[in-house]
Amino acid sequence: MSAMVWHQVRYEQLSFWRNPQSAFFTFVMPVLVITIFGALFNGGSASSYFYGVSPLRYYVATIAALSVLGSCYSQLAIVLATRRQNGILKRVRATPLPTWMYFVGLLAHCVLVSVVVAGLIVLVGRLYGVPVPDRSQWLPIVVTLLLGAASFCAIGVAVAALIRNAEAAPAVVQFVLFPLVFLSGTYMPIQSDTVNVVTGALPVRPFNDALLGAMAQGTGFAWDSLGVLALWGVLGAIVAIRRFRWDPRPE
Amino acid sequence: MCAAVTVEGLRKSYGAVLAVRDVSFTVASGEIFALLGPNGAGKSTTLEILEGFRRRDAGSVDVLGIDPGDRSRGRELRERIGLVLQDIAVEPYLTVRETLARNAGYYRAPRDVDEVIGLVDLAGLERRKVRTLSGGQKRRLDLALGMIGNPSLLFLDEPTTGFDPNARRSAWELIRRLRDTGTTVVLTTHYMEEAQQLADRVAIIADGRLVSEGTTASLGGRDTERARIRFAPPPDISVGELPVPARPDGDGLVTVESAEPTMTLHQLTEWALRRDCTLDQLVVERPSLEDVYLRLTRDDAAESTLEGSLR
Repeated sequence: MSAMVWHQVRYEQLSFWRNPQSAFFTFVMPVLVITIFGALFNGGSASSYFYGVSPLRYYVATIAALSVLGSCYSQLAIVLATRRQNGILKRVRATPLPTWMYFVGLLAHCVLVSVVVAGLIVLVGRLYGVPVPDRSQWLPIVVTLLLGAASFCAIGVAVAALIRNAEAAPAVVQFVLFPLVFLSGTYMPIQSDTVNVVTGALPVRPFNDALLGAMAQGTGFAWDSLGVLALWGVLGAIVAIRRFRWDPRPE
Repeated sequence: MCAAVTVEGLRKSYGAVLAVRDVSFTVASGEIFALLGPNGAGKSTTLEILEGFRRRDAGSVDVLGIDPGDRSRGRELRERIGLVLQDIAVEPYLTVRETLARNAGYYRAPRDVDEVIGLVDLAGLERRKVRTLSGGQKRRLDLALGMIGNPSLLFLDEPTTGFDPNARRSAWELIRRLRDTGTTVVLTTHYMEEAQQLADRVAIIADGRLVSEGTTASLGGRDTERARIRFAPPPDISVGELPVPARPDGDGLVTVESAEPTMTLHQLTEWALRRDCTLDQLVVERPSLEDVYLRLTRDDAAESTLEGSLR
């Protein structure tokens, strides 16, 4: 069984790295963003504007979160919508490969990519002098990353289930993500309480907050934020399971 | 030979549209069976029900001893059937070899990847990315995916649509070879020639109904129907002067229909020899598969229009 999962992951990885578009947007982009931010904010000191940490320390956490969004949510929604439209999903369905195995392989691939990108972002931060998080924070960091990856995978599949037309998929995905990422403080801390209350109930900000806590502030598990994130994950999973279609032309 | 597929009283509707109405047929193990019919006749719907993609509304279906509507036996069924769908569906960024090796991993006893690459004439292109293949090459890769699991039953939904004549002939050759090694093949097509060349038996579907079934030679009574003798009558001879009843065709030829063509021909040729004239462009023909097909599908269309206007 694990051999089959590995079989799937391997071919997903091949498809992913050879597709210039997916490799650029999910992998190169976040690394590029943190490199640029590093150049812009290098040497900035801790301030209350950045919740008591240095700007770059803040960005290492939020851009790591962004990379998980890209490799799980965006990638899955677009890949699944496209594969369904092309009939590739129907083709998979026609083989003895169990449905769950297909998804386990795909999700494992996404999580693998996000862990690699997040690690690279921490590494770039390290090159700019951002300290590697304390050992006591590693467990909370890993748990937060995995929960985030799982939740955004579920939301990605749910969005793929709701998208009818694969050509529209990238636009729909970005249309939802772009304002949300901005308002959730990924590119700059948000000081408006109203905005924070609203985005705090949506999935991106809790993920940012939880990762900031563990990676930058050293405050361990952010249970409230993780709870909101998990709820969104469950909601995504319910929509995904109930609405997902394999056939480009449903009955 | 036992039956690979048995369908009885199959029915399927989409909303108010009856796509398949009371279709019954059997496919013997080891034969090539073609479902022939115009677009939208219900061929693909029937095939998709057999493949387990769509649920039926009524009737019974047996595919290799399994009911394809029974999801709990789906995996067992998919282990033993292969299929090629209408759309070309292959991952663009994998190579030919990777695409096949990936799917081979899904089956308990797959065919050898290189053997299948050779069978579909893709040898030498193993390391090419799928997205750089031509349409015909992608289609052949698709066909290779259908047989990689070494299925005992292969479903082909319009397998040669978009092929050039050479590619079509080699695809037919390949399908025949599969049949000869014991694979049962069920295919849909709207090419008369394909059915005639390839199929051991044909069923014609029109407007959701099975209107005729049989070997290509006997379909629609082709073998028992009257032969047609056509020729250009000698100049200055009117139709009425011929020794047998004939009707003019409008293109300068006349047609004689006969249940006893040997006798009729003898009468005609004897008459011509005696008068020292010739019967130019003389041919004897039976109704072609296309004639039968057009008659059967046209009758049905007319009938359903009538039904529609009565409602």
